[in-house]
Amino acid sequence: MKTFDLVIIGGGPAGIAAAATAASHGLEVALIDERPTLGGQIYKRVGPGFKVKKASEVGKDYYLGEKLIAELDNSKVNIYFETLVATIENSEVVIIQNGKSAEKLAYKKLLISPGAYDRPVVFPGWTLPGVITAGAAQSLVKTQRVLPGSRIFFAGSGPLALAFPAQLSGYGANIVGIIEAAPRPGILKSIRIALSVLGNFDLLRDAAKYQFHLISSRIPMNYRRIIVSANGKNRVESVTHARVDKNWRIIPGTEKTVEVDALCIGYGFFPSVELFRLMGCELGYEESRGGTVVKLDEWGATTVANVFGAGDGTGISGSYVAIARGRLAALKIAAELGKISESSLSKLAVGLRKTLNRRVKFQGAINNAYEIKSGIYGLADEKTIICRCESVTLESILPVLESTIDPSVVKAYTRCGMGMCQGRNCQRQISALIAEKAKMPISQIAQATPRFPTKPISLGQIADSNVSSEKYFIDAE
Amino acid sequence: MLNSDFLPGYLSQSENIEDLPKQTDVVIIGGGLLGTALSYYLAKAGVEVTLLERNDLNREASGTNAGSFHFQIALHQLTENMTEADDKRLVDETKLMLDAAKLWDDIEKELNADLGVHFTGGFMVAETQEELQVLRDKQRIEEAAGLETHVLTGNEMREFAPYMAPDLSGIAFCPREGHANPLLVGPAYAYRAHEFGTQIRTNCEVTRIEQITGIPGYRFKVHTNRGVILCNRVVNASGAWTAELSSQLGLNLPMGLSGLHVNVTEPREFFLNSMIQHIGRRLTLKQTANNTFIIGGGWPSREEKFPLRYSNIWESAAGNAAVAVRVLPMLKDVQLVRVWSGVWAYTNDFKPILGESEKIPGYHIAMVPTGFTLGPMVSRMLAEYMTQSGTQNLLPKEFHVDR
Repeated sequence: MKTFDLVIIGGGPAGIAAAATAASHGLEVALIDERPTLGGQIYKRVGPGFKVKKASEVGKDYYLGEKLIAELDNSKVNIYFETLVATIENSEVVIIQNGKSAEKLAYKKLLISPGAYDRPVVFPGWTLPGVITAGAAQSLVKTQRVLPGSRIFFAGSGPLALAFPAQLSGYGANIVGIIEAAPRPGILKSIRIALSVLGNFDLLRDAAKYQFHLISSRIPMNYRRIIVSANGKNRVESVTHARVDKNWRIIPGTEKTVEVDALCIGYGFFPSVELFRLMGCELGYEESRGGTVVKLDEWGATTVANVFGAGDGTGISGSYVAIARGRLAALKIAAELGKISESSLSKLAVGLRKTLNRRVKFQGAINNAYEIKSGIYGLADEKTIICRCESVTLESILPVLESTIDPSVVKAYTRCGMGMCQGRNCQRQISALIAEKAKMPISQIAQATPRFPTKPISLGQIADSNVSSEKYFIDAE
Repeated sequence: MLNSDFLPGYLSQSENIEDLPKQTDVVIIGGGLLGTALSYYLAKAGVEVTLLERNDLNREASGTNAGSFHFQIALHQLTENMTEADDKRLVDETKLMLDAAKLWDDIEKELNADLGVHFTGGFMVAETQEELQVLRDKQRIEEAAGLETHVLTGNEMREFAPYMAPDLSGIAFCPREGHANPLLVGPAYAYRAHEFGTQIRTNCEVTRIEQITGIPGYRFKVHTNRGVILCNRVVNASGAWTAELSSQLGLNLPMGLSGLHVNVTEPREFFLNSMIQHIGRRLTLKQTANNTFIIGGGWPSREEKFPLRYSNIWESAAGNAAVAVRVLPMLKDVQLVRVWSGVWAYTNDFKPILGESEKIPGYHIAMVPTGFTLGPMVSRMLAEYMTQSGTQNLLPKEFHVDR
């Protein structure tokens, strides 16, 4: 088995930046990604069989992504494409390459940068065909040039609520309406964001550009409104939305219904903390950064020896922070492995820290301005499916909450979270239900025991007939 | 009739939040299958019982096993060189299994509950000629004990179980085997026990068992995080933690612990009605009512201290999957979705520890390695012993607590 100086899991902004930086200081690096191309979600490249003819039409992220990925071109980074990480144990990453049997990569240092996934929002009709997350819609457009519908409605909150419909509209999509759950940014908030913007002009410019695009395209944008339901028989035919109070609770009587054939949901992201949990890294809870976040020191080290984290998988902070964090972690790792001296580490870190602080400040202001409120967890009615893999409705979960505050008990009794998504869609909603019932903060609700595999994998790929079962016979003598 | 709807929330209807009773006749420690079943049989016979569980009921091995009835002679019961004495031992062990089978026949009527009990048969497969010989030897012993099994080979085997690897050397089929829903059995016992007056307290952890004198009718003071309770008799039914708690009283039980690994797959169209085991390698395999496959059979997981759950080892997943795919080739393309791990408590001779300690009169132990299959039956045996004022011969000698 090969031992790498550094194994990086996830080839998004953080992972690419870290790989390039580490390789430039002479580290032997393996970079693992589950997709056939690098870039993660934000720099996602076009799919096989597609070509970018006019880069200017694809957007700024395309340029930035290509520039970052180009850093890897002349490096000796070993890239494992179409590769899943099943688990990590004994300083070895168990990987499954497309169609092959499990293999192990040993590491001296590990950087986990798995990115984030769209926050699932549970409301009546959320499982209807035609309801799609913003990230999935973005992937469709970016990799396959497919629009999710011909009358698209966007419901969400945060900077994406502006940026994404604007991007989609740029691709020729017919956006029939946008709702944002937060209030229209007032003067105070705008000033706060503006103040944090010193040195972040490009980001502010982006926001203004998106806003301008939406206004000039006459796309109606309504603040303080949230999705109530997606309606339709076999697929979404209309959506109902309503005005909300400051905690995002629906104000009855304010409902409006719009005919649509696609509904995009964009209420932010959840960090993919599965591998961090599996490794026993200390976690925290910050709703504004996606909920469960990973505790990192100033270099990105987790509380587990030799394990680092960077990017949105450790808490939502955006691609600029991810890149800076990825590079800082790579530098620290290079220093720990004796490839650069402590003094050059401090020198090299100065510029990165400056960028990082600036970006963190901006992102913090954005996150606070668009903080998710508790009403997001209160949209389901009794017949709404909470666990879509196992078709478990709210009404079959409620009685269990009478006797337990343990999500594992809810799981055992209702099968919530036992399906193919491995709980990614329903577990936060379950925690929120328990928290509400028990009058506890959601951050205090235990999470189900972390278990591998982090993604479903076929038994044929896992099977290893070289493992002798005799070795494991229980010796009773 | 109880069905699975009774489960959620039924405890909150009880007096769980009230203080502990000040005194009782029997304190049962552990709300797993043995503890709940014992509380039912005792309470039904009119005994005053308080059941203490430190977590929620049925959360450890009792609720995390696959719910299979293992009646056939299995790998762990065999020794390297089988002697006549071994044969006799196996006949006795198989007879015990048959008694358990009879209890499972009637349990849904007894508890007036739908517990998902089905007798759909079980396979034991062999890959080599030596293993096939073991199947034949095993069948002879089982026949002597009165358990029906059939050994099939060649075309007969392939016709009977066309989904199995065609090059297996043979399979044994036992029509008597089957399964129940492990999430329901313990709680149903608790529900009925409660109807008969058993006091149940969850989130109530026993910290110390103190032997006392001077209060007539009471021999123990049981200390918990929710206060103290006096009692005349204690039953330790704390499963994996039985030895830990007994060592406080100076008892050294011949038992050990092992974490067991379980693989769970995505659902596939239902076709496998019977559980599959292997006579030479570690495998239990079944398709559940949810159409997923549950695959285990004794692969280890890593020990962790309570309240952490035993963590899984990749090698166990990989080795277990290899045996499963070898026996049932269609599994090759079926995806593993999750794994879990439960704690398995075993005794050095794989026999139950059941009865009252002679060293500490009034202190009882109920512990059994093949807990799901035998749990209800050994609980009933102990309840009979406890209600018929200590006639030790109601319990087999080899189960003795002080052995």
